[in-house]
Amino acid sequence: MAGHEKINEEGVIATGSTATGTPARRDPVRVEVAGLTKTFGAVRAVDDLSFTVEPGSVTGFLGPNGAGKTTTLRMALGLLVADRGGATFNGRAYRDLPEPTRTVGAVLETAFHPARSGLNHLRVYCRAAGFPISRADEVLHQVGLGDAGKRRAGGYSLGMRQRLALATALLGDPSVLVLDEPANGLDPEGIQWLRGFLRHLAHAEGRTVLVSSHLLAEVEQTVDRVVIVGAGRLVREGSIAELRAGSDGAGSVVVRSPEAARLAQVLQGDGRRIGLEDATRLTVTGATTDEVGAAAFAAGVELHELASHSSGLEQIYFQLTSGTEQYAAAPAGSAMQQEGSR
Amino acid sequence: MSALVRAEWTKLFTTKTWLGLLLGACLLAGGFAALFTGLAGQDEGLPALGSRQFEELVFSVAANASVFLLILGIIGMTQEYRHRTATPTFLSTPRRGRVITAKVLAYALVAVPMALVVLAVTVLVVQLYAGARGNAPELAGDNLQTLAASGLVLVVFTVIGVGVGALVRNQVGAIVGALVYLNVIEPIVASIGAISGAYKWLPGGAVQAITSDFEAPDLLEPWQGTILLLAYGVVAAILGTWLASRRDVV
Repeated sequence: MAGHEKINEEGVIATGSTATGTPARRDPVRVEVAGLTKTFGAVRAVDDLSFTVEPGSVTGFLGPNGAGKTTTLRMALGLLVADRGGATFNGRAYRDLPEPTRTVGAVLETAFHPARSGLNHLRVYCRAAGFPISRADEVLHQVGLGDAGKRRAGGYSLGMRQRLALATALLGDPSVLVLDEPANGLDPEGIQWLRGFLRHLAHAEGRTVLVSSHLLAEVEQTVDRVVIVGAGRLVREGSIAELRAGSDGAGSVVVRSPEAARLAQVLQGDGRRIGLEDATRLTVTGATTDEVGAAAFAAGVELHELASHSSGLEQIYFQLTSGTEQYAAAPAGSAMQQEGSR
Repeated sequence: MSALVRAEWTKLFTTKTWLGLLLGACLLAGGFAALFTGLAGQDEGLPALGSRQFEELVFSVAANASVFLLILGIIGMTQEYRHRTATPTFLSTPRRGRVITAKVLAYALVAVPMALVVLAVTVLVVQLYAGARGNAPELAGDNLQTLAASGLVLVVFTVIGVGVGALVRNQVGAIVGALVYLNVIEPIVASIGAISGAYKWLPGGAVQAITSDFEAPDLLEPWQGTILLLAYGVVAAILGTWLASRRDVV
């Protein structure tokens, strides 16, 4: 079992070439979601959602469970019928793409016919799309499942099923990869492998990668941009850096000094907030460590410790998605797109 | 379309469902053929060996195996929903009507050799057993026609199964519903005088019209039954396609 889940460096390298073995630079495909809306009974699962996914980058599609991520992805790919709005891939709806699986590869489902082998599962979709049957073997090795291909998919672990689903998505060597919670069931080694794999696909090969997750920490190191949704609406769209910069309490500076009270006076002003925690400890928000250090040096205050303390992205993400007041109160003028509260 | 049909065949032959159902169909057809041959002329109501009625009965018994091919068609469609492969299938072919058309074609074509195997088993059992009892039927004229009719019933029921599966996506529900319909509802309709006239228009009535039956009530002509049964297959497939194209794949 463990043998099938090991990191496959070869696979990462192999993605640089097409089925014929020649290196390929693919057409960049931009994904545009516009005004997507879907109601299930009385529940508005997705509410006028619009965002874009750029080629050559990994975009994280984030939101708590039930935020409408899966519904959005399924609508974008024509599996669910949208009440309003739609998604386009370089201007075309999914069902209008001439060879959809050559343009978009999607991992939405980790279920397979339990009695069919992984290899045969892949062969079915090779046949349906008119790919050479040898592609099945290629993608199986690419995701590190080469040895398990002849076994029934019913006996696969969740991690192996994730890999088989990924292999299915890769069959058409697509320009866009859409993955719904791909890290579910992967062991830490598998997650590590997936991160490298997705970054390689986007950065080295210019593909468009959209990966959903309800955990920011899971994708934080992988994604370049984020699209955050809550209760079916867009909360934020932008780069990780913008998210970090544009949020409350993004950073504070912790200072330890025998003259903490005097330093607090020195630092007063410039919109800084200073908290004197005890006789030797200060917390400063609204200033960098450089600024605090320079001010202390100018005033001749002795420092024993000067450290920046950033509230983690995870906390920012939690604030953004946990309720309406938090994200309505986000500072204006940040580079990020903002949506009003419901 | 030929790529999609071949994809359906790959799906079908990479699990063993078809084998189990083919064996079931052969056992049912061969078993009843043996039973009827063994009891011919002895049991009350069973015609004697060598009679026209006996030959028609024993060669139309293969049509009863249609229930296995109906289930083959139902499973062929509903397994996509049951095992959630509908997602990759409809991602690969977003125009869902093409998937269902391919399934209908693939299953209709596969049902032909399967029906031939069932007929071959029936003929083999009857020839050997009736031959041993000294009166093997001739494989000519009316008997070949009866066999062909049985084969047609087997093929059309496979197509009806695909259509039923597209309509009722729940596999267990579709199979149980189809069995209850064929074995409970139709016999009741046929047995109640006031509405028994409707029976000849039902699939079961069409099957009886095609294969004929020595205890048949008022039935359509065989050619009319053939058209009616084909119409049921086509309507089920079209309805199933229409619905599948509009439903959410969750």
